[in-house]
This record gives sequence, C-alpha cells and structure tokens, in this order.
Amino acid sequence: MKILVLNSGSSSVKFQIIETDLERMNAHQDLTLAVGLVEKIGLSDSRLLLEVPDRKAYQDYREILEHRTAIEWVLRILVDPEHGILDSVEEIGAVGHRVVHGGEAFASSVLITPEVVDNIEACSVLAPLHNPPNLRGYHAAHAAMPDIPHIAVFDTAFHQTMPAHAFLYGIPFQLYKKHHLRKYGFHGTSHRFVTFRGCQILDWKREDKRLISVHLGNGCSLAAVDHAKSIDTSMGFTPLEGLIMGTRSGDMDPAIVPWLLAMEELTLHQVNTMLNKHSGLYGVSGVSSDMREIIEARSGGHARADVAFRMFCYRLKKYIAGYAAAMGGVDAVFFTGGIGQRSPEVREASLEGLEFMGIELHRDRNAAASGDEAEISTDASHVRVLVVPTNEEKTIARDVIRVLNGIMPEFTPPETIT
Amino acid sequence: MSWELHRVTIVGGGMMGRSLATKVAQEGIHVYLKEVSAEAVESAQMALERSLDHSIERFALTGSEKKAILSRITWVTHFDCATDSDLALEAVQEDFGLKRQILRELDRRMPPEHPIVLTTSTLSITELAAQNNSPERIVGMHFLYPVTTTRVVEVVRGQLTSEQVYERAIDFARLLGKIPIKVFEMPGFVTTRLLLPLINEAMHVVMEGVAEAAEVDLAMKMGFEFRIGPLEWADRTGLDRVLNWMQHLHQESGEPRFRPCPLLKRLVRAGLHGTKSGRGFFEYDENGRRTDRLPDDKPGLG
Repeated sequence: MKILVLNSGSSSVKFQIIETDLERMNAHQDLTLAVGLVEKIGLSDSRLLLEVPDRKAYQDYREILEHRTAIEWVLRILVDPEHGILDSVEEIGAVGHRVVHGGEAFASSVLITPEVVDNIEACSVLAPLHNPPNLRGYHAAHAAMPDIPHIAVFDTAFHQTMPAHAFLYGIPFQLYKKHHLRKYGFHGTSHRFVTFRGCQILDWKREDKRLISVHLGNGCSLAAVDHAKSIDTSMGFTPLEGLIMGTRSGDMDPAIVPWLLAMEELTLHQVNTMLNKHSGLYGVSGVSSDMREIIEARSGGHARADVAFRMFCYRLKKYIAGYAAAMGGVDAVFFTGGIGQRSPEVREASLEGLEFMGIELHRDRNAAASGDEAEISTDASHVRVLVVPTNEEKTIARDVIRVLNGIMPEFTPPETIT
Repeated sequence: MSWELHRVTIVGGGMMGRSLATKVAQEGIHVYLKEVSAEAVESAQMALERSLDHSIERFALTGSEKKAILSRITWVTHFDCATDSDLALEAVQEDFGLKRQILRELDRRMPPEHPIVLTTSTLSITELAAQNNSPERIVGMHFLYPVTTTRVVEVVRGQLTSEQVYERAIDFARLLGKIPIKVFEMPGFVTTRLLLPLINEAMHVVMEGVAEAAEVDLAMKMGFEFRIGPLEWADRTGLDRVLNWMQHLHQESGEPRFRPCPLLKRLVRAGLHGTKSGRGFFEYDENGRRTDRLPDDKPGLG
C-alpha cells in the first residue's frame, strides 16, 4: 500500500510516500518512493521540494498561504505526469500523521476520528507550538482525501509505559493532577524503531532484552527499553530536560530560573529562549550548536568547545549507566540520529570507562561506522553496541499498516495514581 | 486571523515604527518601513540592528531569528509600497498636519477596504479621517510607553470606522502580541484619562508638602504594585508632554478636574522636563538611570 506520511509544522509540511505492507515490514523492505517538503507557508515565496530516487530534485516556488493549499500542491505534484510518481491521488491508501503530543490520552497510534481530534486538541496546552499545526495538517489532508483512513502517530506514545516512579516529578502531587505536569518524553517513534530494528539485526526478541536507545540529533534523548517497554527516558515535560543538546541546556538546578528572573531581570520569555536556544553546546562553547564544528574547534585547541564536548559526553555516560541500573543490566546500546550515527568521537567518549558494566567498544569498528547500520562493540563485549539509523517516517507508515490490520501493540494503561 | 495579512506598510522608522515592524516581521509578515530620506533610512536601520543585537544579548532572540526579521523588512522612501499592502500604520510624531498628509498618500494608493491605522493619544481620528475618500477604513491605536514591553494597546473606533475594519484592527493588535482594549474616540481614552489625574494629584501632594516625591512613588509601588511610581513615570514620559496632555484634556472636556497642577507648569517653565533633561521630580544620568538613591533600592537576594 502507498502511504502518505505527513509532518506538519507551523510553516512547513514535510511528506514522504512510502510503499509498505506486512510482508515488506517483516523483510525490512519498505520502499520510500518520494521525499519532500513545502516550506515558508504563509509567505509569498513558499518552496516545494520533491526528491525521487534516481531523479534530479524538483523544486518550485509560489505563494502558499495555509496548510490546505500546501497539501493540495503536494498532491498535484505527486500526480504530475512529468515530475510526479503517482497516476492518481487514489493510489494513496492511507495517510500517517506525526503528532507531537498525545499526553496521557494516547499510548499507541490510532485511527483519527472526531473524538481523537478533540483529544489531540486537548493536548495542545502541553505542546502549544506543535499540536495545533499538526492538526491543521490533518484537517487539510482530510479535506483533500476524505475517503481514506488517517492515522495519528505520537512522539510521546511509546513512553506511556513508564511507571509512576519514573514519570512523576518531586513536586506537589496536586500539580500533576491539575496540570498533567509529569515526564512525557519525546522521540518515542525513533526509540521504538531503533530498538525494534536493532533487535532485528541481532536476531533477538525485543521482549527478552534490556536496551538503551540513544538518539542524538538536533534534540537529544535516550530511553531505557526494558522487555520492549520504555521504562524511562531523558526528555521530560518538554524536550528541554535531560541531555545537553545543540542549543538546549538539559538538566540543571531549577532554582537557577527564579534566581535569573530576579538578578538579571529577565522576562519569562527571555529565560525560556535562553534555555532552549542560547544554551547547550552553543551556549557553552560560543562556537556552534553543531557537534561537527565543536569537534573541529576542540581539536584546534578551543578550550570552551572542548569542555562543551566533555559535558555532552559525560552527562550521556551517566544516563547510560543510570538506565542500566534502572533495568538491572543492559544487553545492548543503540546509537542513532545525526550525531549518534556519524560521530565516533561522541560514542567513544560517552562509553569510555563503562567496561566495568560490560561495554567494550571496538575502536576500529567505531571509527569506521559513519551512518549505516553497524556493530561497534568487540566480539567479547557483554553488551552489544550498534549504530542503527532511525527512520521515523517509516515507523509512521508501518504504524498505519499495523492500525489498519488491528495489530498495533496492546495498549497497556500506565499505572494510575490518584 | 479571519483575513489574510501578508504585507504591512509602517510609516515612520522611529522607536515605535521599528518596534512594531520587528514584531510584525517576527510573525512572518512582510513589512515596508517608510522613512523620509535615504539618510533617515540608514540611521533607523542602524538603530533597529542595535536593538535586535540587544535582544540577542538578553536571550530574547537568536542570530538566525535576527536575520529572518531583517529579511522581511524592506526599507522605502516612497508611498508606492502601500498599493500592495493589506494594512498600513503610521507611527510619526503627534502632528495633525503631518498625519493628515500621510493619510492622504496612503488613502490614494490602497484598496478601500484595507485598514489604515493611526497611532495617536490626543488627535481626533474622526477629524483626520473625514477628509479622506474612505474614512470608514481609518482606525486608531494608542500604544503605551514602552511600546516593546507594554501588553496593552487601546484600539480606537472613530465616528466613521466600519465594523469590519475595527475587527481587523483588533486582530492586528493581537498579532502584535498586545491585549486590545476597545475604546471609542474620546480625549484620553481609558489609560490616559485615568492615569493623568493620578499623576496630577501626586504632584499636588508634593506641592502641598504632604510627602516627598520619592515617598509618593514608593507608596504607590509598594502599596499597589505599580511597576514605576507616578512621578517617575511622568519624568520618563517627559513633563512637557504630560503638561500638553493635561492641557489638551482640560480644554477638550472643560472639566476642572483635569486642570494641570501649578508645580508641573513651574517645572516645565524651568526647563526641567524629566529624564531627557536630567532632572524632573528626580535626577537622571545621560543613560536615563536615576542618580538619586531610591529609598526602595532592590533589597537583593543575599
């Protein structure tokens, strides 16, 4: 079945056409037929980009004022006799939508019904920048393709299996009840795919294993996946918690926030952007938010780039060891995301010294792995370490198939504390 | 937003024009910023860059956001940009003749249903609008000082303002991140009309020797959570401007309660105009910082 996968942001729509079904999924032979995006929605010079394997990339500019016209444009290009890949829009069997926040309402992917739309809307208060454009994308796609199923896949859903002792914060309980203030975690689609695929490569049953999935990209998070269930993850109520990232601070003493509000006379907005956009690798090094440039600067002797690098890897190491402790051991660590797949330096520095818990990195294998699937631990290592490229779009397409076939993994309601 | 807003003309690259242009551009909307000459454009451009750099230092913006904002602002010295603007706003000084002339230039070039926003605290938008082809598309806005941080704007309905234009102005105010206060045209609207008598009364209190200026401000700050006291507010606004407004309110309404306090007149006559002249009710350095020690200097945290 050909599936349209949509990731709708406030001013962009990213899309892929993926051909998959149960057989292809099992054989890991899903086909990505086209990848593209419409950006600068709302402006007079919106751009559409379409990339089809073995063809020259196609792009076009025009005034696109809202998501509906953006999606109509995408569909028109997909069936264009010269640049397109479909004979008609009817070839699209279903649409998979990425939705950032499913709150406590969604622990798995679902067929979108009016009730589901209401629930996603209710979660908007938790992700005011993301859920509303996700929904706009859905409404636009549904208007253009009303007769096919639309499925929502949530970034938070995979982590809904976390127990209360992992997802609650140590603040007054009534704040959790009143505002749903708790850890949700993100990158769930990626952690789910990577642990699934990693076990497939190792010929393991995910249900038997204790896994740590490390996603290091623009945002960074890791998850402890114990017997196929996420039991803890480093991002929290928002994506700000946890690891140091390109421009985000990750964990720190929360008392810094009120202190800064008073002493620097910053506004809430300023503190928020300081922590999200001026911090992390960029804020510490003053060089860049890009790990490649940090590594380059530190090899040139830049002291702050060096300390930023060490902070990044040190915190990651503590989390990896912590999650191994949380699961009573670990069988494999999977690295993914731009940094996770392409930076041997980060992988080496963050696993260094973890031999005591059975992690032995193979220097040459690690140095050689630069993006593709690869095992990078020694043959004697008790813990297997792999690079597993993530593919969130593919997971969304596969979830469409799973939902339509009624084989979405069983919904396990998380522990409820009242 | 119920109607599409893609291009906005802002006339006047002063503090207010720049601040509003920044906000509009931040929302992804294209801005034509009109100044009178190439030299004026250049100095306004530099001032805008400086204020964006300051925002970056204060973590409110990132370098790439600054680039995006600047890329959405086109500086012009001619009114022709108004022909393809969905809304125009003038942000020039409070001068009836000047505003009337700008209005005429905009009115001639813009489709009749596109709103024109006049920013004014004292002039009559009905009177300004009356001389135009499409007076119903003219609406007022009264921004409070400082424009960048104050959350409120009074959206002023003139006698002839159409319902549709008024609604669009409300939408536009929300886009600017402000809370719109709906008011009919009447001298002082809500904010000025309530605030000026308070300031005037504070001056009477000082003049009568009931309390010192610093004590008056402290009482209002600590007692009623005023961010700055009424007398410092007057200093920062400019005592000459405060006097002008009072006189205007007094003349327009004929009410004795708006009669300017004699102490205010005396200070203005003596050239003590507040922050900008270094002295008013309090004393200031060239950067506008108070030099007299405040009795409520920040206690600090430790």
